[in-house]
Parts: sequence; structure tokens; C-alpha cells
Amino acid sequence: MTEKKTMTYYPGCSSQGSGKHLDESLRAVMPEVGIEMEDIEDWNCCGASIGHIGGGQLPNLTLTGRNLAQARKRGTQDVITGCAACYLNTHGGNEKIKADVKKKAAVNEALAEAGMSYDGDLKVRHACEVLVNDVGVEAIEKRVTNPLKGLKVAGYVGCQTVRPFAGTEAGGDYDAYDDPSFLDDFTKACGAEAVPFKHKTACCGGSVAVMSPDRTLHLMKAIVEEAAKEGADVISTPCPLCQTNVEMYQPLINEKFGTNYNIPVVFYSQLMAVAFGMDAQKDAALQRNTIRSEKLEGMAKKK
Amino acid sequence: MTTPAPAAAKTYDLSFARWVRDNVNGGDKLNLCMQCGACSGSCPIGVQMDYGPRKLFMMIRAGMKEEVLSANTQWNCTSCYRCVVRCPRGVPVTYILQDLAAKSAEFGYAKGPHENKNFAQAFWWSAATFGRTDERLVTMRYFFSLGFGEGFKRAMANLKTAIGMVKTGRMHIGLPHMTKGRKGLKAALAKAREIEQRN
Repeated sequence: MTEKKTMTYYPGCSSQGSGKHLDESLRAVMPEVGIEMEDIEDWNCCGASIGHIGGGQLPNLTLTGRNLAQARKRGTQDVITGCAACYLNTHGGNEKIKADVKKKAAVNEALAEAGMSYDGDLKVRHACEVLVNDVGVEAIEKRVTNPLKGLKVAGYVGCQTVRPFAGTEAGGDYDAYDDPSFLDDFTKACGAEAVPFKHKTACCGGSVAVMSPDRTLHLMKAIVEEAAKEGADVISTPCPLCQTNVEMYQPLINEKFGTNYNIPVVFYSQLMAVAFGMDAQKDAALQRNTIRSEKLEGMAKKK
Repeated sequence: MTTPAPAAAKTYDLSFARWVRDNVNGGDKLNLCMQCGACSGSCPIGVQMDYGPRKLFMMIRAGMKEEVLSANTQWNCTSCYRCVVRCPRGVPVTYILQDLAAKSAEFGYAKGPHENKNFAQAFWWSAATFGRTDERLVTMRYFFSLGFGEGFKRAMANLKTAIGMVKTGRMHIGLPHMTKGRKGLKAALAKAREIEQRN
């Protein structure tokens, strides 16, 4: 990291619900490594991976258009988000608006009804990409005052954080699609041990898991199973839907497959907050995990 | 499942592939598909699909409109984008499947209480009404859209999870979180819908 930067932050809907601990820990750790985040004023939902079915393609894109119009009011600083789905829609929608003059005109015609417009002048970035490209793993390591010695972490990247943009120029070209290394690098920078984890970018089932867990429980079982086999104390993930799915469905997995899993699933940013010596509750939001990690909580500073 | 082969005596609806090209998001790249099957082989729940994406794309070319639009393939896509990044021809497989799902719903191929369609509609209702996704309301609206008995059953089955979420502060009690500019947002969404139908 060289200089402090200010970015416009898009928290997304899960930040007020199931992914509150991602939001809280990101807000805590990002300024510590030089990234100040200011919220998009009065943001709205991104549409996730299903908005177009209920609403249609253009209305779905208009959701992104409105968020970016609001973000643009703050200037041309980069937009940052920690949520995989928010990133996918907002970044993908932004690139579409930039590349397709007809779409841009249509979105702006719709936005005019709300007295807004968006010129396509912003760049939308994922928090992990910013940590890799702008901050740098060394700077994260340097900030660590409370190394997580002996904590074994299975780095579960999931799908949409890296796919389909992590290897594209507009997506910051920061890692690979099948075997990315950034999450393990974060783990090691925090002083913890990254266990081998083949299911790194396996799918948890996404929204299909939410609406009908039966169709995808076996996917989540495979993820938890490997983490347990590798002796992981916690699974770490950047994605709010992965976190919720893999955590909340462990009782159902146990019921269906006769297993006995109870592995905590945390965000990389929660690990960072603990490793930065920040507050266990206010900053790392460890109390928000339904499966708590005694080992991690034992390492955390309580103020 | 055995793939329905186009019957020799049947006249194909050859306009279907062209319709997909012109109307489905990403459909303009469908003609690049060389039937290698990297998509189907990469799919996390491809085995649960009536046909994998590769087969479905060939069926589009064969003009099998009914079979394609009533397939469960597009509804089982989890949007993991593995097929998109692996396709050697740059076919945006996920985007095509996602929009085929929307078209299936639009043209009445997703009949009755349909998990994916109902969930998507509950989701959009929240986004368009409040400007945000209220996970509690989307879930309940979805559950009960499947019928009262089914809704009650699912609500009960998820009670423990919900209590855990409330206890950890990840599910709040009270009014939904809302975007202040809902009026403008609604007007913009209505306009977008109008533009889409005009084109």
C-alpha cells in the first residue's frame, strides 16, 4: 500500500441481514489498510442472479443503473463491494452500460423517471481485488499485531467472487478461476495456516440452495467434508451467500447424511479483524456466527 | 433421462434458433458452440438437469422449442459461471440459461407452484417494493406461494435456523429496510419494463 484511498461503498442487502458480519468486519479492516469507504447514498438491491426472471432484463439492469447514478454523485472514485452477487451485477452491469450505447440510452431513459442519470464513468471493484491490487498482501501482513498462530483455515472462495471476472482486465486480473490463491494468501498474512482445499471454488448451490436445499445439500456436504478431513478449525469465505448456506445448512446435512459436522464458517475480513488486534464483537463480529469458533474467539482481543 | 430425438416426420420450427439469437441474453453467441461439452462436464448439478447445456444448445438448433422451454435445465443453473470461464468458444452459457429461465416463465412453461419461478417472483417483489431484499419476507412469501400447507411445513422446518439468525442479529424484527427513493425507483423500473416491451 502506498497511499490512502477513498472508495464508494456498496453494502448490498445482505449487509442488513444474513451477511451483517461481512459488512461490519469490512468496515473495520479496510480503513486499517488504507481504504476509506463511504456508502452509496440510499442504495438499492442489485437484483442478484434472479432479478431478471421476476422483473425482466432491462428493469434488472436499471437497479444497477440507479446505484451507479447515486455513486457517481460522489465523484469518479471507484465503487467497492464485498458481496459476490452485488459485485457480479454491479460490475457486469456497469461494463454492459459502458460497452453498449443502446443499453446505456435505455437505462438512462428509465433513470430519468427518477430524475437520475449515469454516464458510465465509474469502475466497480470487489473488495478482495482491491486488497490484492491496491493494498497488497504484504501490507496486510504488516498490519497484523495478533497473528492467528495455529489456526487451521480452509479457504473457500466460492464461485462468483472470481467468476467470471477475476481474470479479466476490467475485473482487475487478480487471480485464477479454478485455483485462486488470494484467500490462502490472506489467511497466511494473518498468521494462520491454510490447509489444502480442493473445493476452493466448488459451488454451494447459490440461490438454488436457498429455495430448495434438497437439490444442493450434497454440494455443501462435499465442501464441509473436505474441510473436516483436512482438520480445519474454520472455513473462511469472501461470499455472504456461501457463508450463510454452508453454515446454516450443516444441521440439515447431518440429518440427511447421518454426519456430525459443526464447522464454523467465517469471513476473511473477520479473520483480519482478529489478526489486526481489533475488537472481537464490534469489529470482527464473531458473535454473529451461528456456529461459533472457540479457538478463534480465544485468540480475539476483547476490549 | 433419454433425450427426445427430433421425430423424422415432424417439421422443425427452424425459426427458434433465430429467435433465441435475437431475444435471449447472450443468444447471439450461441452459434459459436462447437458441442465440446466442457459446459455440461463443468456443471455442479448438471446430472440433475434434464439435459446439460451442450445438449440443450443442440436442441435449440434442432428447433425443439417445446422441449427446450419446458426443460428443468435453465432452472437448475446455480450461476457458478464455471461453464462461462471454461468455454473455449466464449459462449456465455450461464447468461443464456438464466434468460431462458426468464423466457420459460414469461411464456407459461413453468407451470403451477414452481420453486425457482416463485422464488424469483418473491425476490423481485421485495426489490421493487422496498428497493431492497428483505430475506425474511422473501422467504415467507416464497414458502406460502407454494400453497398454505407447504408454506407452513417449510416455515416450521426453518424455524430453528430463523431463531439462530435472530439471536445473532442477522435477522431483524420489525419493518423492512427500505430505500428512501422508492417512488423514483418504481417509476424507473416501470419505464424500463415499458422500454423493453416496446423493443
